[in-house]
Amino acid sequence: MSGFANAAEWAACMDAGRFHVTTFRKAVASAATSANDFVDYTYFAGNPVANFYASSPLEAAHVEANRGIHLRDVGQSQYLKDICVMSAASGATSTSNRNQRLLLCDYLMYYPFVDTDAVGEQQDMIQTVTLPRYAGGKIMCVSQSATSTLGTFTLTYTNQDGVPGRVTQVTNTKVVNGGGTIVTTPNNSLAGSLPFVNLQAGDTAAKSVESCTFTGAGGGLMAIVIVAPIQHINSTQECRRTTTGNLESYGAATHLEALINMPINEIKQGAVLGMVGLGNAGSLASSILTGVLTTQWSA
Amino acid sequence: MGWTSQDDMINQMTNNGKTDGFIYQKNFPAAGTAGHWQHLINAAGSPPAATFGGAELTFTATDGTWSEGAVQLGGDVSPATKHMVAGGGSIVAAAGAPWFVMPIDLVGYVKLTTTNVSTTGTKTVTMTPISNTGAKVDRYANGVGLRMFVGAYATMGANAPTLQITYTNDAGTASRVTTAGCVSTASAGSGTVLNSGNAANKYGPFLPLQGNDTGVKDIENLIWGGTAHASGSVVICLCKPLAALPIPVAATGLYNLFDYANTIPSYPRFVDGCNLQYLVFNTGATTSGGTFYSAGQYGWGG
Repeated sequence: MSGFANAAEWAACMDAGRFHVTTFRKAVASAATSANDFVDYTYFAGNPVANFYASSPLEAAHVEANRGIHLRDVGQSQYLKDICVMSAASGATSTSNRNQRLLLCDYLMYYPFVDTDAVGEQQDMIQTVTLPRYAGGKIMCVSQSATSTLGTFTLTYTNQDGVPGRVTQVTNTKVVNGGGTIVTTPNNSLAGSLPFVNLQAGDTAAKSVESCTFTGAGGGLMAIVIVAPIQHINSTQECRRTTTGNLESYGAATHLEALINMPINEIKQGAVLGMVGLGNAGSLASSILTGVLTTQWSA
Repeated sequence: MGWTSQDDMINQMTNNGKTDGFIYQKNFPAAGTAGHWQHLINAAGSPPAATFGGAELTFTATDGTWSEGAVQLGGDVSPATKHMVAGGGSIVAAAGAPWFVMPIDLVGYVKLTTTNVSTTGTKTVTMTPISNTGAKVDRYANGVGLRMFVGAYATMGANAPTLQITYTNDAGTASRVTTAGCVSTASAGSGTVLNSGNAANKYGPFLPLQGNDTGVKDIENLIWGGTAHASGSVVICLCKPLAALPIPVAATGLYNLFDYANTIPSYPRFVDGCNLQYLVFNTGATTSGGTFYSAGQYGWGG
């Protein structure tokens, strides 16, 4: 790991050309999401292109690099210098995309097309690849279809220390209208939402997932995704302009600068960056999350 | 050097008068495309619209005295260094928000027109490599920190060929290439940064350099692949990004101000010879004729 010895080394990167500026723009699909739904922005169209977790069912796979926010291959870790985000409203009067909590993640590995209707059946994952870059990550479950009812499941997994056979807390899935929503909930409720599945007591991360067993049908399909969280950020007021009445404009941006507003976060070589967002005020359907981020690397 | 401390900055700016400001105002020459970056170099306003004179496929250097229009930044201050302490912007346009704007120092450009755009293949560029002298074109020694984008300066015709630039990096290694497969934009409006966009194989605002390259010393050629643009005029711009700031609110012209001394103490530098220009990222389709306004304050020490 090649980092920085002091603030002067950090500040010198821009003058030395060791930086990369990149843009992202993701448009949430038109299916309505609910307040308190987390969405997986990688699933939606834009730049980078949509990541539908479309590969062989239950087989471990890596997310392709071109489905992550563009990074240059500089042969070593990069570090997040700054990130700035804004969210464009779906229409002139829509306010439901305001106040989003966002989490920048490195998408490590996933198991697609888990059948949430397979009650009583142990769905065994196929370990065709291993977890890259990290010793373990957080597990999240992303809908790959609409789901019709509240489901219940557990996962068995190998933890950060390589101990297999660990069992997650009993977790529920909820009703969603389409793919791209994080489908888990901490209670048997439509309103609740949980970005990550709670692991067995004492564990901090998962290295792989071995199986999934539903005890209550969820009525859909989901991908089990292992990510490494990097940095929280928020998007406050939605960006829009009314077309009747007061003809007012609204909007806000959030900018975080390393050292000042956030720590220096490592982005490992080969990282696939994406954003998870919490729709705090209502549906995120057809809203657009846009941002610019800069990375730097050491000499 | 700049300043040795906040006290020194305050002293230099308030007692010694080493500070000034600038204003930049442009009208979007064409509707911006959602998800694309747009340059405003050939947009009407202040400075006036550039026409990109100079010979075809030949690098034309620009600096703060560029006859086609440059923002006045107070001239040279070496051995002192000049830094932006605040900057902001607003956009008045009925649609297109939110935007990001990026001030850049345009070091130079290479223009391609007619058959150099409407045919594919390797278009060889004539350029004296950037060196390490006191000349303004060498203001980033050997091109360290410089990036490239390909911008339209006329309405582009149909088709979207691939584009790739071969360059010499700032370490002097020749035949380096930007990321393969990057796709241009069909029928784009004037000002569009053609390598950016809202689809696969689009990179914005700059063409990704090879490996961990940190700059561009020499532009060797541009390679068009696939089906050529039916028509159009483009410039390969060589520039140094200086900062980026968001404009979340449309139409009303609400001004967004960044404090680079206190809020984000990054002190973007205007090197002697800086040719300040701007790029804009359109989240939506920005209305043609919309107005972009930016102003800033800078100072220097020594």
